[in-house]
Parts: sequence; C-alpha cells; structure tokens
Amino acid sequence: MKKSRALAAAGACLLLAACGTTHENAGAGGGPGATAKCGADGKYTIGMSQANVAEPYRQRMNDDIRSAVAAVPQFTVDFADAAQDNSKQVEQVDTFLTQQIDLLIISPNEATPLTAPVKRAFDKGIPVLVLDRKVDGDAYTSFIGADNTAIGRQAGEYFKNVLLPHGGKIAELRGLAGSTPARERHDGFVQGIEGSKIEIVAAQDADWLRDKGQQQADAILQAHPDIQAIYSQNDPMGEGARIAAQNAGRADLPITGIDGLPIESGGLKAVESGRLSATFLYPTGGREAVDAAKRILLDCGQVPKTQTLPTRLVTKENAAATYAELNTGS
Amino acid sequence: MTQAKVAVLPGSGRPGGGVLATLFRFQSLFGLVLVFAAAVVYSPSKNGELVFLDSGNLFNVVRSMSEIGILAVGMTLVILIGAIDLSVGSVLGLASVGSAVLLTGNDLGLVPAVLAVLAIGLGFGLLQGIAITAFGIQAFIVTLAGMQIARGLARIWSGGQGVSITYGDRPGQAPVTFSLLRERTFDGLVPIPALIFGVVAALAVVLLRVSAFSRHVYAIGGNEKAARLSGVPVKRVKIVVFGLCGLLAALAGIVHAGQLNFGGPNDGAMYELDAIAAVVIGGTSLMGGRGSVVGTVAGALLVGVLRNILALNNVDSNVQLLVIGLVIVLAAGLQRLRPASVS
Repeated sequence: MKKSRALAAAGACLLLAACGTTHENAGAGGGPGATAKCGADGKYTIGMSQANVAEPYRQRMNDDIRSAVAAVPQFTVDFADAAQDNSKQVEQVDTFLTQQIDLLIISPNEATPLTAPVKRAFDKGIPVLVLDRKVDGDAYTSFIGADNTAIGRQAGEYFKNVLLPHGGKIAELRGLAGSTPARERHDGFVQGIEGSKIEIVAAQDADWLRDKGQQQADAILQAHPDIQAIYSQNDPMGEGARIAAQNAGRADLPITGIDGLPIESGGLKAVESGRLSATFLYPTGGREAVDAAKRILLDCGQVPKTQTLPTRLVTKENAAATYAELNTGS
Repeated sequence: MTQAKVAVLPGSGRPGGGVLATLFRFQSLFGLVLVFAAAVVYSPSKNGELVFLDSGNLFNVVRSMSEIGILAVGMTLVILIGAIDLSVGSVLGLASVGSAVLLTGNDLGLVPAVLAVLAIGLGFGLLQGIAITAFGIQAFIVTLAGMQIARGLARIWSGGQGVSITYGDRPGQAPVTFSLLRERTFDGLVPIPALIFGVVAALAVVLLRVSAFSRHVYAIGGNEKAARLSGVPVKRVKIVVFGLCGLLAALAGIVHAGQLNFGGPNDGAMYELDAIAAVVIGGTSLMGGRGSVVGTVAGALLVGVLRNILALNNVDSNVQLLVIGLVIVLAAGLQRLRPASVS
C-alpha cells in the first residue's frame, strides 16, 4: 500500500515536470497559480466530498461516480461523507488537500461554510467540480447540477395543466427549512401554478423525510379534508403522505414527488406502482462529473463553468422505461 | 467538611497510587500516545514525508476537534457532578445563529454581540440548573427539553434559514475582526479555534485544581447526600456547573459561526454525543465524582487523531464510525476494570 503510494507520488512528480510546458494552454484546472497536471497516461486520485450519504439521492450520486470511474483505468476515487455536518465537511476537504488529490468533486452541505475550503483547493491549482449544491463566489472550475426552480416550475405546470385544470385546494410538503432546494422548489412551483385557480391551503416542513412526511400529511388531512392533491418537494415525503392519505381514507389522492431516483426504493418505482402520480427527474450529475474530470485530467481540456442538467416529467406511462434507461451501463 | 474532602480530589495525589493507578487515571492520555504512535506508523507518505506529521495536518486535527473539545470541557464538569447535559449541541446551534444575526442584522458591534451570545448560553444553562435543583427533575429530562427548546429558538430566530456572515464596515456586515476565528496565528500555523480550546481547557484545569468549587464538584459527584450533610452548597454548585456548561456551548457556537461564516439553525446536532464520548474516553465516570479535564482533552484529541489517520488512509467513513464506537466501548470497559483503590 505504502510502496504503491510512494510510486504514485514519484510518478506524479515526473508527470508534473512533463506537463510543465503544456500547462499554460491547459487552463481548465484550478485557479490562480494553477499547476494542474494532466495527460492521458497519468494516474489521478479524485476526492469526492459528499454532504450526507444517508440520503438515498446522495448515495446514488456516489454510486454513479463510482461506476463511471470504474470505466477509467487512470482514475481512483476516495469518498468522504460529512453526514450533514458543515464543520466535518470542511475538515474532510482539508484532509483531501493534505493527501494532495488531483481533482476535487464536492456536493456541499451548505454554500457559505464550504466556500472557503473549496477556494483553498481551487487556489492550489486543484480543479474543483461542484455538484448539485452551489458555493458562493466563483472560485471553482465547474458547477454541475439541475435547476431546482425549473423543476418546481415544471411540477407547478403539471398541476395547472394536468392534475387540476379547473383549480382547487392543495397542500405542499417542504424539505428542510433553510436548504436552498426547499426554497427553490417552492418558488418554482408558485411560478408554475401562476394564473391558475390552484390554492396552496397548507404547507409544512417535513425535512425531506418519509416519516415526517406522513406525520405532517396526517395533520394536514385532518385540518383540510377538502384538499385535492399534495405537492411534495421530494419522493420520500410523498410516500409518507401516501400512507397518511390511505389512513385518512383518501387512497386516491394525487401526490407528486421530485427526484425520481432509479433505485428499488426510489420515486420511479413509486410512480410505476401508482403510489405517486408523477415525479420529476433530478439527475445526480455523478456521471457528468466524471466526464468533466476526464476532459480536464486526461484531455487537458476546458469544461463549461456551469452545466445545467435537464429534468423531465415521469408518469406511470414512462416510469419503467426511464428506470431501465438510467440503470444501463452502471 | 472533612468528610467532603475525603470523598474528593482524585486528580491531586490521593493515597493508593502506584503505576497502575496512574495508568488508569490517565488512560486517555496513554491512549492518545498509542493512537498517535499508530498514526505515525500508518501514515501515508508523500515525497518521503509522513503526511500525518505535517504540522499543518496536526493543527488541523486540533482545529477540527476544538468545538467538540470546548463542549466536552463543560460536559466534564456536568458529568463530574453525576449529571448530563444533552442541550449543548442545540445551544451551539442557537449561539451560531445568534452570532450571525447579531453581527450582521443589528450592527451591534463585536464585543456586545459576543457578550450577548455568551450571556444567552450562560442564562440558558443557569435556567436548566435552576429547573433541575428547584423542581428535583433529572438533568437528563431537563436538558432533553432544553435541547428541543434551544433548537426551536435557533430556527425561529433565523427564520429557518441559515444566516450568512459577510465582513466589512457597511451596515449588515460583521466586523472584520470576527473573521479571525477562521484564521491561523503564529506564522499561519496555529488555528485560532485551537488556541481558544487550549485556553478554555487550561482555565478549567486550573479551576479544578485549586478552587473550593472544585472540591464541591467532586464531593457532589462522589456522594451528594454526604456532600450536603457536610455543608456543600449543593444546589448553588449544580446551577453554576450547568451555567458554565451553557456558557462554553455558546462559546463553541461563536467559534462555529466564525469558522464557517455562517449561523446554521440545524448545526451542532449530535455534537452533545460527541462531547459525551470525549468525556467517557477521557476516563470520567458517568456516575460522577471521578475524572479530569486533562483526560477529556486527551479523549477529544484521541478521537480527532483517529478520525484523521483513518481519513488519510481513505478508510470508509462508515468503518470510521465503527472504529470510534469500539474505542468508546473500550474506554468504558477499562473504567470497569479500574481497581477500587484508584477510585
């Protein structure tokens, strides 16, 4: 183990020297004073700093990265899990820097606290790919993620055009208060239903969790027995709401989610089996991040500063096909 | 009074010592040395240098444990009187939100804002202490409630949103001095939070060495009834201990906000358990009356070094949890083996 590390380090030094002449035009990596190394015949360690692996979506993001990296013999990837703790994630990024990784992929728990360590990496010349959640400022190489406001808007339009074309009373289950996706998925939804007669008569925070979704939906259905649908900001809360709806004798209440995770317990399966009326695919960006890493490290190329991943509506008609599509090649 | 004195002072040369006794008394210190040595052996190396021993890395370890360490010092006092404080993580969250809001929203100035946050922590702790002593409710229950209340207050105060801290002279910006908390001093080597942790620990060690307060704390933990009968002001000491613990939790919250430029209403969750773990690994008995701040500091650093070396070797984070869990069990097990003469 140690020997191979030393060899890798030695190899890296040689490579650095070899790359010295080309790095000027290989400006994709890192920030000021960048000494990014690159080339197809090198060996590269990627550090992946994940906000919280306990969330299935983030586990899937790691899995997508792992399977994409497995296809690139030059890459190895180390994972760190901050378990939803800003302090811990800062520490883990610093540890990656101590280890002298070649590229950092980070899905930050929250923007402001993680901005400084990301900048430290970037200023050292390490290319940084920010996944799903942003950091402040522009000291990173590329941001890859879907647009939460757009997804919320699409959900709102689905309510306006398909679920409740004549309007009606609905409830909203929100994610963790204070998180940007919770705010953006709400704002987008409000834009989406604009001009319709849909009215959000109840909204509660359920922290992205299934059990809290059930708990909140229980109370909402007690207080507002006349609601005609529930918009849940993610699939697990929607699944919880389904249980509450069944208990309240409203098994057919339309409930929509967001995320569409292509796993056995994910939203695609929930839509396929009719527990959710629809979900909106929120891609993890894992594969796209590894593609970007290849362009930077192997091709010495550039990547766009922002890559917005496309979303799509998943209903009972296309759920099975989407599931199959997202699980090929991994 | 004499009776109280007999029941106390494990840290200052009681009879019945010997090598074994010393070993048990400072188990975490020896543990720390062992883990440190193992970390040196298993350290990956880059360019012939051991990565673990890099001074930047070592100070990073202390910095990363500084918040837990500060909490754990307060927790040591509470556990020494045979109680527990589950609210410290939430108070840390409340204090980090408080720092951010007071510094950016009210243009209060650095010193008044910091003092206000410290006062909130102190007040919160004192109130918990009063609830415990006045109504005779168990500390576990009162601080369990306190944990919820502090978290609720943090979320209400911040409007459920994290509060970002920007620095400058304009309204809505925090004084630049506050950003020192994420800086390093002594040639850019020693992180300020580590320095604060060191000062807090040193003050606590001195407090527990020389003061009458210290004798009272150990006496209450050793045998509360005996302590009361021998004239120890049990209620007052308990209230002060919870007050100090709250104060330190607020200090940790200020450090937290300063390091991250951010007051997070959800921050500090589970930190109370990390602090308790550091105290237990440090050899302080959960039954009270036995233990030391030095042990706690060593316990906190031991966890930090362990986490660091596992991370440097890319051990899976789930396995890291297992390892640290095993260390806690091991430390508690050693406690049970401790010969009676050392108690």
